Amino acid sequence: MKDLLATVKQNTEIAENIYKMTLTLPESAGALAGGQFVNLATGDGLQLLRRPLGICLAEGKDITVCYQLKGKGTQKLAEAKAGDRLKILLPLGNGFNLGSAKNIAVIGGGVGVFPLIYTMRKNQDRNFYTYFGFRNKKAVCLLNEVPKCKQFSAVTDDGSYGEKDNAVNAFFKAAPAVDLIIACGPPVMLKALKEGLSERNDKTPCLVSLEERMGCGIGACLVCTCKKSDGGNARVCKDGPVFDIDKVVL
Amino acid sequence: MAELSVEICGVRFKNPVIAASGTYGFGREFNEIYDIALIGGISTKGLTLEPRLGNPVPRIAEGDGVILNAVGLQNPGVEKFIENDLGFLKSKGVVIIANIAGKTLEDYGKICARLDGLVDFVELNISCPNVKAGGMAFGIKPESIKEVTAVSKKSLKKTPLMVKLSPNVESITVNARAAESGGADCISLINTLTGMVIDIERRKPVIANNTGGVSGAGIKPVALKMVYEAVRAVKIPVIGMGGITCGEDAVAFMMAGAKAVQVGTANFTNANAIPEIISQLNVWLDKHGITDVNEIVDTLSLNG
Repeated sequence: MKDLLATVKQNTEIAENIYKMTLTLPESAGALAGGQFVNLATGDGLQLLRRPLGICLAEGKDITVCYQLKGKGTQKLAEAKAGDRLKILLPLGNGFNLGSAKNIAVIGGGVGVFPLIYTMRKNQDRNFYTYFGFRNKKAVCLLNEVPKCKQFSAVTDDGSYGEKDNAVNAFFKAAPAVDLIIACGPPVMLKALKEGLSERNDKTPCLVSLEERMGCGIGACLVCTCKKSDGGNARVCKDGPVFDIDKVVL
Repeated sequence: MAELSVEICGVRFKNPVIAASGTYGFGREFNEIYDIALIGGISTKGLTLEPRLGNPVPRIAEGDGVILNAVGLQNPGVEKFIENDLGFLKSKGVVIIANIAGKTLEDYGKICARLDGLVDFVELNISCPNVKAGGMAFGIKPESIKEVTAVSKKSLKKTPLMVKLSPNVESITVNARAAESGGADCISLINTLTGMVIDIERRKPVIANNTGGVSGAGIKPVALKMVYEAVRAVKIPVIGMGGITCGEDAVAFMMAGAKAVQVGTANFTNANAIPEIISQLNVWLDKHGITDVNEIVDTLSLNG
């Protein structure tokens, strides 16, 4: 884990209110896993918290993250120009551990697709069955970075791109034979996935990446808590963000 | 290199920069970023008699120059702290300040008795704004501050007692004196101010608890004034905090009379905040030809 002063290489809007930023680190970040994240300073002195963003692409000393315009902090990030310097703490959290799984279903919703794309790119020896859902055509992005999949479908809530459906439904309809499911997306999507698996009595191992408002990003401040199925708390940033779906309350 | 060590209540700190409670856990996570042995001290996450799961999420929000939190004293309880974390902190040689909170006077007495002699200080959280069990009930009125301080002091035969004061009160000077007369060996201030951040699209407060504690750079002027006033109200040492983000901020608090400072929210903005503050403090002292940090304490002169 390092806190580095990175240089913005590129920062462009790739879909409506979705930006892709590539930063060049002064040194290697070390080993990275898909599903890990960075805590990025916004460069705005008034916004004190960093923004936790999933690693989307990484090559050499370049790290790419994508973010959605939400408020003042992400607005400031969107204004960053090539050459600007931002502090970045990385790598954080635990990524998707694919183990020995050969056939893997990948379910992503909205900005949740970014860490999944990186996970797939890092593990191209596996067979991926991928189902991505977006709000509408304007929100669809980065599909050109998705590596070769055994099956791939992108759907939208309103049918303006692909079928009118959501990612979880698309997955259950396709019902691929897989030995692992990985998912990242809004809470309502992950909840639907958990309920769908339970209704079908489907015991396929399933890993989900959670999102929560964070403070320190390293596990010290206990701000980004989630509930564990056994009744205790887990820290999304340090114990996650990737959890076994059965071990957390969604 | 100026002399940075300070002594408070007979305890020697290698420098006057302490990690503030609730922002630093028990030090393990920051130790993955830098060796925490280099900081002056650590005020632990607030400890209660029994483990607590804390508030629902979201627990944090932002304003301009400030953050708002309502973690709700999630902690493993004092026994688990002693079992799992105290040894690690001791191995680092930092001054260990156990921050504690109780539901009842009896809780405070019991936790103090358990920690007596095991840690360098006990810091009473009588001002957590986020839970009823956080001692806020004790932290407002001078009578109850004196009482909870006295009960705690009675259970501490070896370890000095620090009382952390709330800014959400009628008079900081009256409350500082109340802590002193209750037997506090030193005081720390300020805890967070209470506040609210609203999501206008949802027409709801951002954090689940609705209100929370405001901290960060934006509260520094409020904190400085209260520290200045408290220093002049009591004879016991004062530890200052509230919005410190750089070495110059630490200098200002010490000029106002603080013998040491605590750094909280800055740890979120900058994971290396404390080591940087220590080195900036050193640079400032060198630049001003000051050889010992203690020389700047309480040197403020007011405008005529």
